[in-house]
Amino acid sequence: MGRSERKRGWKQVLLGATPTASQRRIGFAFVLPTIVYFWGVYFYPLLSSIRLSFYEGGMGRPERFIGLKSYEMVFTDPFFWQTVRNTLYFVILSVPMTVALALGVALLLNRIINNRVRDILSATYFMPLVISLVAAALIWGWIYQPIYGLANYILGFFGIRPQKWLSSISQVMPSLALINIWLRIGFDTVIFLAALQSIPERLQEAARIDGARDSQVFRYVTLPLLNNQVIMVLMIELIFAFKVFDQVFVTTEGGPANASRVIMMYLYDFAFKWFKFGEASVVAIFIFTSLLAISVIQWVFLRRAAY
Amino acid sequence: MEKQHAPYLRIKRKFISWTLTALVVFGALLVLMPFLWMLLTSLKRPEEILRVPLTFLPDRFFNLQNYFEIFKRQPFHLYLWNTFLVSGVSTVTSLVFSSMAGYGFAKFNFPAKEFWFFSIICILMVPFQAIVIPLYQWVVEFGLINTYIGLMIPHFISAFGVFLMREAIAGVPNDYIDAARIDGSSEIGIFFRIILPMVKPSLAALAIIKFLWTWNEFFWPLVITNSEEMKVITLGLASFNTMYYIEHNLATAGAVVSVVPIMILYLAFQKWVVKAVVMSGVKG
Repeated sequence: MGRSERKRGWKQVLLGATPTASQRRIGFAFVLPTIVYFWGVYFYPLLSSIRLSFYEGGMGRPERFIGLKSYEMVFTDPFFWQTVRNTLYFVILSVPMTVALALGVALLLNRIINNRVRDILSATYFMPLVISLVAAALIWGWIYQPIYGLANYILGFFGIRPQKWLSSISQVMPSLALINIWLRIGFDTVIFLAALQSIPERLQEAARIDGARDSQVFRYVTLPLLNNQVIMVLMIELIFAFKVFDQVFVTTEGGPANASRVIMMYLYDFAFKWFKFGEASVVAIFIFTSLLAISVIQWVFLRRAAY
Repeated sequence: MEKQHAPYLRIKRKFISWTLTALVVFGALLVLMPFLWMLLTSLKRPEEILRVPLTFLPDRFFNLQNYFEIFKRQPFHLYLWNTFLVSGVSTVTSLVFSSMAGYGFAKFNFPAKEFWFFSIICILMVPFQAIVIPLYQWVVEFGLINTYIGLMIPHFISAFGVFLMREAIAGVPNDYIDAARIDGSSEIGIFFRIILPMVKPSLAALAIIKFLWTWNEFFWPLVITNSEEMKVITLGLASFNTMYYIEHNLATAGAVVSVVPIMILYLAFQKWVVKAVVMSGVKG
């Protein structure tokens, strides 16, 4: 019937060009439950979040319009900016390292010719992805245990003094970042490996015949071909790390001395500990717009990379 | 002279090649280590885990005392059942409604179709945190705190699933649908008997990813449950840490219990799981 093949003007795009009225009804009936659900359970709450950020009260208390007061409270709260700094610190510690390591692992895996061995290895790197962040946090909390933990035991082999890991103000963020690297490396590796496997062998071969060294082949042939994957993976990891909550909540609850209090914990405390929905909604909107900005940046980068 | 160097170079290249392979194998072992450590710790008695210097292997490998203990102390069987129920039901509803919507978007025309589809794609960009507060207020208002419905509300339909199923169903030739119509099949019949069997791989991918996500979910259950009977497995696990003194032998046993079903799923359908997780990660 050529429904989707037909060229359509803006009016048809907006109103839909349909052969029969019954067709229109049936098609709409199929999508209706989903549309109702998403508008009810996602879009309406999103708008409500925006509305809530201008109000105080709720949960039995009378609601009152207070304008931008919640915004002022949050954005002048030095504690809020500390959680933003902590979150960004976590992102900087974990994201570039994850992506770089994953690229390294993918390059090494790509050299392995035996398919079975390569599959088993990449499946192993992927394993942490399927378990819950809570389980991961419990395991690592035990590994990091200062007296009986595995981490200090291993450091002992190299003659390094026991560290305090999650209970040290300076080490807590790097320790959490290490958990994150462990959690996420498999995801990036799989994406990079798939991209590497799709690069025709003869491209690198041609460069080698022209006298390029291995490092030059990587720098000038392989890496440019991975450009899109690198940007994509960076953005995905950025968004994931920015929303970090479960691991921190389970291991440190923001401590010691708020050194690991991330922005999501600030939202959680305001919303579900103190039931201050106005301030919490401001934080929610802040997170939403930050992530939206990241997505837009990604989109721009990928557009530019395409030309 | 050139010839004399050749064997040396070959050995050198082989050596480098083996070193690089060993390196990536070593990395894989490092990734595996925490899993192994979890398993070993869960088999140790309390006094065993407090040894300095630590001992790697448990004294007795078949010491399942910790596993009995966690089920005795907390209703862990209930947590497992709740998690299974919430994940199972929301997987089924996601499969049905996401593929229905995918079919509608792929094979029909109706007013403002592009707009509706775009709005669902936009959902993928909305972090759950941006809607959690109003959603919580509703759940409280309608008395859905500590109920299965409350736990499932954000999980009933998957936006990623709509996207995935639309792509898959668009690939089903229109001739099949038209032929079935001429034969007098009802529209619902066409959907269940013609469309769904042809997109089984995508349905499987969606089922896996949805089950995995819901099984591992922590934030939403944390917010809307406070009774022991309605806790899910991740909350049960987290409660090991709220005590002043963490009994790591028990905590790791709990972690093993929570991870085993997912690991079975992973090891059985490894390629599928990887594909599904990557797809969903990339798309949203």
